[in-house]
Amino acid sequence: MKLLNKNIIGFLSIILLLSSYDALSQDAQKGDLSVGLNYFINNNKIPYLLVKVKTKVDGKFKPVSDIPLNLFLDKDSAGTLIGKVVTNEKGEATAIIPPTLKNQWNSSIKHSFLASFDGNKKYESAKADLTVGKAKILIDTTSDRKITATVFEMKDTSWIPVKGVELKIAVRRLDADLSVNETASFTTDSTGQASADFKRDSIPGDIKGNIVLVAKIEDNDQYGNLLIEKTVPWGSKFAAVNNFDRRTLFATRDKTPIWLLFMAYSIVITVWGILISLVISIFKIKKLGEA
Amino acid sequence: MENSNSIANEKIIQDLLPQKFGRSGKIWTGILVAFCLVGLFAYYRQLRYGLIVTSMRDYVSWGIYISNFVFFVAISLVGSLITAVFRLADVHWSTPLTRIAEIIAVAAIIFASLIIIVDMGSPERFYNLFIHGRLQSPIIWDVIVITTYFFISILLLYFPLLPDIQILLRFKEKSGTRLHKFYSFIGSFWKGTPEQFKLSEKAINILCITIIPVAFSIHTVTSWLFATTYRPGWDSTNFGAYFISGAFLVGAGGVVVAMYVFKKAYHLEKYITPDHFEKMGRIVVLLALLYLYFNVNEYLVPAFKMKKSEEAHLNGLFTGEFAPLFWFAISVGMLIPIVILLFKKGRRPLPVFIAGIMVVVGAWFKRYLIVTPTLLHPFLPMTNVPDNYRHYFPSWEEWAIALGSLAGAMLVITILSRIFPIIPIQETITEQHETAE
Repeated sequence: MKLLNKNIIGFLSIILLLSSYDALSQDAQKGDLSVGLNYFINNNKIPYLLVKVKTKVDGKFKPVSDIPLNLFLDKDSAGTLIGKVVTNEKGEATAIIPPTLKNQWNSSIKHSFLASFDGNKKYESAKADLTVGKAKILIDTTSDRKITATVFEMKDTSWIPVKGVELKIAVRRLDADLSVNETASFTTDSTGQASADFKRDSIPGDIKGNIVLVAKIEDNDQYGNLLIEKTVPWGSKFAAVNNFDRRTLFATRDKTPIWLLFMAYSIVITVWGILISLVISIFKIKKLGEA
Repeated sequence: MENSNSIANEKIIQDLLPQKFGRSGKIWTGILVAFCLVGLFAYYRQLRYGLIVTSMRDYVSWGIYISNFVFFVAISLVGSLITAVFRLADVHWSTPLTRIAEIIAVAAIIFASLIIIVDMGSPERFYNLFIHGRLQSPIIWDVIVITTYFFISILLLYFPLLPDIQILLRFKEKSGTRLHKFYSFIGSFWKGTPEQFKLSEKAINILCITIIPVAFSIHTVTSWLFATTYRPGWDSTNFGAYFISGAFLVGAGGVVVAMYVFKKAYHLEKYITPDHFEKMGRIVVLLALLYLYFNVNEYLVPAFKMKKSEEAHLNGLFTGEFAPLFWFAISVGMLIPIVILLFKKGRRPLPVFIAGIMVVVGAWFKRYLIVTPTLLHPFLPMTNVPDNYRHYFPSWEEWAIALGSLAGAMLVITILSRIFPIIPIQETITEQHETAE
C-alpha cells in the first residue's frame, strides 16, 4: 500500500512538474521586438514618421506585422498623440504629424518622437524614441546643367546654412535614384551648399524629355531624412513603342501578319485548287462514261 | 493465248473479290463493335459530367487522347509512303499493298479528327476554332492540313477504285443488292475507255505528287504543336523530322501487320507473297534505324547538356517514374524489331508480322511518352495542388474512349475491306499481263 502511495505521489509530482514547466514555457515563448523610428520630410512639406518593427528568428531579423503602436510627440500623453498605427506585412507603419499638433510643433526647433507597443500574447512590450532638429533642403539649377543643393537648419527663428552635411544629388529613375555624375555623395560647404555637374546627357526622360532631379539627406543623426525634387527638361524625349495594334504572331486573329496570310492562303488556295480540279476530273470521267 | 489470259483474269478476279465475313470475321467485327460501344458510353459520360471524368487536371491537360491523336496522324502517313512514293518511284512490287495502305490512311485520319474533338470536352467547342481561331496558331494549321489530307486520302482511295468498281458491278449476285446499288452510285459511269484511263492516271499522278508535301506538313504541323513551346522535351528544332521518321515507321509497321492478317483471312498467299514481307521487312528495319537515330538526337544530346529545366524530365524518362515505359517503347518499338529484321530469317512473314505488332505497340506508348511527361514538369514548381495533379494515370473513361477509337479505326478498315477489294484487281491484272509480256 505504502509502495502504491509512493508511486501515486511520484506520478502526481511528475505531472505537476510538467504542468509548471509548461506554464513557464508559455512565458518563455514571448518574443522581443525591435522598434525603429525614422523621420522624413519631402519637398519641405508635411513631415511624417516611419516605424519598422522586427524580431529575431533563428538569428535573423524578420519583419513583424499586425503590431499596434502609439506614436507621441515629445512626451507620452494623450494631448501629444501623433497617431495609432498597425504594422503591415513588411513590419512597417507610417503616420504624418497631424495639424492638431501644429502649435507644439512650432514651439521648438528640436523634437523627440516616441513609439510604444504595450505587448501582447506573443511579444513583450517595446519602445523607441528619436530626436531630430528642424532642417530644410533647397535645390537650384543653372543653364549649364549645374545642380546646387543648400541645407539649412533652424536656429531660434531663422534658417541658417549648415556646413559638413553629407547628401546625394541624383536623378529619379523607376526603381532607384541614379547619381548625376561619378561622385556618389557630396558634402555641404560653409555656405551650406553642395554642387554637382549633370553628366547624364543621354538619359531618357518623359515624353517632353523631363527628368526629376533629387537632393537628399539619408539617415542623418541630427536631421533625419530630407529630400527635395526638381523637374528639368534635360533628358531625351521618350518615344513610346507600342505593338498593341500591330500585325504580329501574338496579336488577335484580325491582326495576322500579312506575310503569314499571304503564305497560308497561297498554300491553301494552291492545294485546294488542285483538289477541286481533281473533283472536276471525276465529273469529266463521269461524262465520258455516260457519253 | 487470249483464252488463257481471260481464264487467268477470271481467276484473279475470283480470288480478289470482296468476301463475306466468315465466323472469325463476324467474331472480330463483334469484338470491335463492343469496344466501340463501351467507348461511346464513356464518351456519353464525359459529355454528361464533363472532362472531370478524365484524369486530366491543371498540369496534364493532354493525356492519352492527344497521344492517340499523334499516333493516328502518324499511322495515316503510310498512304503517302506506300502509294505515292512507291508509285512515283515506279516500284511495282508494292501494288498489292497500295489499297491496304490507303484504307489504313483513311481510317486513321478519320479517328485523328474525332479524337481531337473528344479531347475538347464539349464537341461544340470545335466550332469555336473557326469563329475564334487565329491563323498564327499551329492548332489552326493542324485543322487545315488534316482536313486537306483527309480529302486527298479519300481521292487517292477512290480514283484507283474506279476500274475495280466496274468489275464488282459484274458480280451482283455475289455482292448483294445493297452493295450493288452502292457500287453503281459511286462508279457505274466507269466504262474503262482510254480517255477515262488517261484522266484517271493523270489524277492519280497529281494526287501522288500533292500528297507527299501535305503528308509531310500534317505531321510536321502536329510536331509544331509541341515544338513551338519552350517546354522540356518539346523545345526542339528536330521535331518535324523526328515525327515524320516515326510516322513512316509506325505506318510501315501497320501495313505489315495488315498484310499478314489479310493474307491469312482472305487466303491471298498468291498475291501477298513472302517476297513482299522480305521487302517490307527491309523497309521497316531501315525506318526503325532512322527513327532510332532521331531518338538519339532527341534524348542523348539534351542528356549530355542536362540543362536544369530538362533535368527532371529526362531523369523521369531514363530512371524515374516513366523509365519502364520509356525503355519498353525504345526496345519494343525499335531495338528488338531491328534485331529481328536485320536477319534474312527474320524477314519471313511471321517474324515480320511480330516485328510489325511490336513497332505499332511501341509507337503508341512512344507517343504517350512524347506528350505527357513534359506536362508534369512545368517551369514553375507545382505548389498547393492536390497530390493527384502531380501524376497522371488515365481514368477508365479515357482508356475506353482511346481503345474505342482504336477499335473504330480497325472497324473502318474491316468494313472497307469487306466492301472493296483489298488488293487492286485491275492493276493486278494489268501487271500480270505486263510480266507475261
